[in-house]
Amino acid sequence: MVHPSRIQKGLTLLAAYFLVVVLLFPYVVMLVTALKSRSEVYSIPPTFFPREWTVSNFLEIWTVIPLSTYIWNTILIATGSTLLTLFCAIPAAYVLSRRQFVGKRAYMYLVLITQMFSPIVLLVGLFRVIQWLGLMDSIWGLVLVNAAFTQAFAIWLLTGYFSTIPRELEQAAWIDGCSKLKTLVKIVLPLATPGIITTVIFVFIMAWNEFVVALTIISSDVSRPLTVGIYAFFGKYDVQWQYLFATSLVATIPVIILFLAIEKYLVSGLTAGGVKD
Amino acid sequence: MEIDKVPALKKLTRDLKIKPRKMTWEDIVTHPYLWLLPSLILMFIVTFIPIVELFITSFSRVSLAGVRHEITGFENYVAVSSKPTFYMVLKNTLIWTVAVVGFSTILSLGIAILLNQKFIGRRLVRAALIVPWAVSLIITSAIWKWILDYNYGTLNYLLSKFNLINENIYWLASPSLSFPLMIWVGIFVTLPFTSFVILSGLQTISNDLYEAASIDGADGWKRFFFITLPLIKQPLTVSVVLNTIYVFNSFPIIWTITQGDPVNQTDTVITYLYKLAFQTNKMGEAAAVSVISFLLLLAFTIVYVSIVLRRER
Repeated sequence: MVHPSRIQKGLTLLAAYFLVVVLLFPYVVMLVTALKSRSEVYSIPPTFFPREWTVSNFLEIWTVIPLSTYIWNTILIATGSTLLTLFCAIPAAYVLSRRQFVGKRAYMYLVLITQMFSPIVLLVGLFRVIQWLGLMDSIWGLVLVNAAFTQAFAIWLLTGYFSTIPRELEQAAWIDGCSKLKTLVKIVLPLATPGIITTVIFVFIMAWNEFVVALTIISSDVSRPLTVGIYAFFGKYDVQWQYLFATSLVATIPVIILFLAIEKYLVSGLTAGGVKD
Repeated sequence: MEIDKVPALKKLTRDLKIKPRKMTWEDIVTHPYLWLLPSLILMFIVTFIPIVELFITSFSRVSLAGVRHEITGFENYVAVSSKPTFYMVLKNTLIWTVAVVGFSTILSLGIAILLNQKFIGRRLVRAALIVPWAVSLIITSAIWKWILDYNYGTLNYLLSKFNLINENIYWLASPSLSFPLMIWVGIFVTLPFTSFVILSGLQTISNDLYEAASIDGADGWKRFFFITLPLIKQPLTVSVVLNTIYVFNSFPIIWTITQGDPVNQTDTVITYLYKLAFQTNKMGEAAAVSVISFLLLLAFTIVYVSIVLRRER
């Protein structure tokens, strides 16, 4: 990085483009397979690019499985989880970044410990709690679980962001007679927008892609999300690869767009999260 | 500022007969504990109660229908630890976690250093790096299962097309091939997060440091080991600890590609406990395996974090 020579620059480019190929290769395979007919997917010798390009898979998937229901459930789950996460994490992160109080350290350790659990290690216990709450086979059970397991991450990220906002701005607002709540809503939250957007998208994507809990507590098509729904294409003896990949593409494109939208915040967001108070 | 602590102000308040402020509505509304309450309630219901329930279940007899009966002490732990499968699965978990976290950290270090330089198409590389992160693990795992398919898979097709193999290879039939391949998939999906965390650390290092070091005659490797590595220790620690937790707990890759077959030989603790709980209905034993997994992770985190913190002092 000090004064890279021509050869170094060439090697950098070579490595970079090789990396792109490795990273995108599986997804190119997914795309080309989704554009093949079933008979071509199961043909010997196989093909890489389709002999005949077809979009029929993208039309048929809507009728072979209740895809629109799955998509709607996934949207509800991801949106619900994101809202609940924010509702709980914003106030917590705000007081953690601004106030000193008894039990602050204890609370931060508590958050850290919950980060160590994944839903799957707790699944046996979680299953019980969901049963008691009467949320078996309900998307609201998933919302609750997703929001709880993204708390640690959201609080961590938001606390970092809130810490970067100068306190003087708030103090100035208080002196002008603005109440503390109003200051938070009118001054702090607008300034923390990039942090909140990053959190929203992270949580949204985590909830969008969640699999294990949904696989365990959802049993009917009416409440099934996409990740579990596409499992229907794994038959006992064969897999409907062309449908699986067409559905996967439909499920994935919104997420990739969201992720690319926050790409520029990604690095700064992760840095802010690492700031110590 | 505390009024009582400043004598002049104290006298002034006495003279003016200002009473100390009472707790107002605003004080109650802005009390820190109140603001922590929503997240506390959420974590209490979804994390704390299940943990307690898990521990109790692990020490109880549970019927096949899932009804919890009396506490029986260590019965479930004895049942689990008397099976040779459990030790094989533990060994798999150790290999899986160490290999995925280790290799992905090393590779990510290279990727982060690459992305920290300016070159044409850097945005494209960063965008490509996001894709495996954004796509659901289920989907990425399914694609790899397809690529590695014996008859129709892309890998066998490409290898035979370039005359590298004469006969198709059964990539997923024996654990000696399928397990390393799943480790590769694990590395593949771990790269984005790790690279971005390390990159965030790299971007805080001032270029002046490198300039100064090269004036003093430090070559590339020296600059890496004496400037870069020490300065990114914090993000590196964060990524190793978080990745170890994520990778240890990983479920979709193995579940989709081999489902632990043949006969548990590619199971990790996590897929094993899922099978115990929801396929063979041994909730008590599954709970015991969960508790053991949690204790292992806790031990790792304490040891690792304390080593890192000690070195810092």
